[in-house]
Amino acid sequence: MAERKSPTAVLREGPRALSDDQVREIEDSALAEVLQVDIDDVIEYVHKDLKSLPDFTTLYRKYLKQRWDVYDLDFTQDKVDWQEKMTEEERQSFIAVASGFHHGERQVEIELPVFMIGASEEEKLHIAAQIEDEARHTVFFDRFYREVVGLKGDDIMAVLDASFPWVSETFVAPFGLLAYQADELRLHPYDERARVRYGTNYFLWIEGVLALSVMKVTLSYARWRGFLPAYYTGFTATCRDESRHVQGGMRYLQDAVRKDPTMINEIHDTLRTILSVSGVVSRRIYYEPLGWTDDEVRALFFLQLRRKLNDVGIGLSPDLEELLQRVQPVLAGG
Amino acid sequence: MSPVPDFFSPSWAESVRAALTAGPSEQARAAKLQEYWDFFELIKSMYPASWALGCRDLPDLGSTAYLFVQWDGGTVTGCRIIGPDEPLEATYVLGMDYRDWKALHEGYDAQRTVMYRKIVLEDGDLLEFFKAIYFFVESLAVIGSVPAVYPQTLRSVAPAR
Repeated sequence: MAERKSPTAVLREGPRALSDDQVREIEDSALAEVLQVDIDDVIEYVHKDLKSLPDFTTLYRKYLKQRWDVYDLDFTQDKVDWQEKMTEEERQSFIAVASGFHHGERQVEIELPVFMIGASEEEKLHIAAQIEDEARHTVFFDRFYREVVGLKGDDIMAVLDASFPWVSETFVAPFGLLAYQADELRLHPYDERARVRYGTNYFLWIEGVLALSVMKVTLSYARWRGFLPAYYTGFTATCRDESRHVQGGMRYLQDAVRKDPTMINEIHDTLRTILSVSGVVSRRIYYEPLGWTDDEVRALFFLQLRRKLNDVGIGLSPDLEELLQRVQPVLAGG
Repeated sequence: MSPVPDFFSPSWAESVRAALTAGPSEQARAAKLQEYWDFFELIKSMYPASWALGCRDLPDLGSTAYLFVQWDGGTVTGCRIIGPDEPLEATYVLGMDYRDWKALHEGYDAQRTVMYRKIVLEDGDLLEFFKAIYFFVESLAVIGSVPAVYPQTLRSVAPAR
């Protein structure tokens, strides 16, 4: 982590072009080498293939190469950084942002299996891999909260219980909706319209917008300050996993709309619900200790959404554009 | 002093009506930003829908009973218990096990009650329902806080998670 660029520099630089060497570094790095990878490059990598989306077998093969062992991470230095180097303000801001991910990973892990039922056989391979990724990410946060933050608990749920007080009340909008959408799919697994609504919330909103924003905020802070090397390594590897999830999800939505153009209505209806409850927050998160202002987080959030929509070719209706202007970021993800 | 009503009794439904009309407690309001409560009040003022909130495996009844709540113009215009033999007509029908109602009453978080699918939407437009999700969650917390006598069950009850 030699580079100490400002966390928000990428907002001013705009999208960057990745060289073949940089792409190779991101794709082929073993876990121990991920510490050297720039998170802004990984987020750019998420978008790299959105215009010509890879097929599900290609994504599955990438998974087999890129999967990592969450138990290989050593959080010893992170604990020192957390206890001795970070200020109380930094710790509180960090945990307020990261807790949405701690719970988000658990939610997306358990809500995904039903989506597999109605998928093509190739997509089933990709989804099975994604479920394993999400389970690993859940363990990653469990270890971070136990070994670095110092939360106690006899099992994974006990640690989730301990971090829940930091989760915003507005978390229920995307993640409660996802739970209920999963229930809808459990009853009607081949209902393509229900699948598109579910995919819009899960792949476009939660993974494509919320998750990438929270990753960027905490990871750029860690890189900027030179803190939390195991968190940076594991969560950057998580971001690389997310690139496959977002690309697979966007592939699914793009294919669905190409097959039946009226599916765009399902995407719009879902976004209409999400955006109509995203204009309010229940508690104030102070981003400044992590190197961000509210306006910069908001800009990051819109950047993530716009890039997904533009790259995949999803336009917004005027009423959705208006709702979008009122949106406040919810920093959570999965 | 009035006796504490039995859970899912007509007098409990009457207490629920009063509690929903009064809204969340000062303690609950103090814990969240005013803009959140402004949004809550905005939704409440224009919410035109009704809920039928089911309780499965209600002790003594052995089947599902529903608490019917009708909203109109920012107030509760109907709040009563619907028995298993009555017609069930509501904009949104939701169901929850008795043990989860009891857990909610004992302080289990209303947001997690939704997220962990303790309460599920059995009938109604899902996307429309979620446009008022904060209003629903806060109202569910209010309903859970209404004093009631919760009968013991013969079956062992697993810890709420």
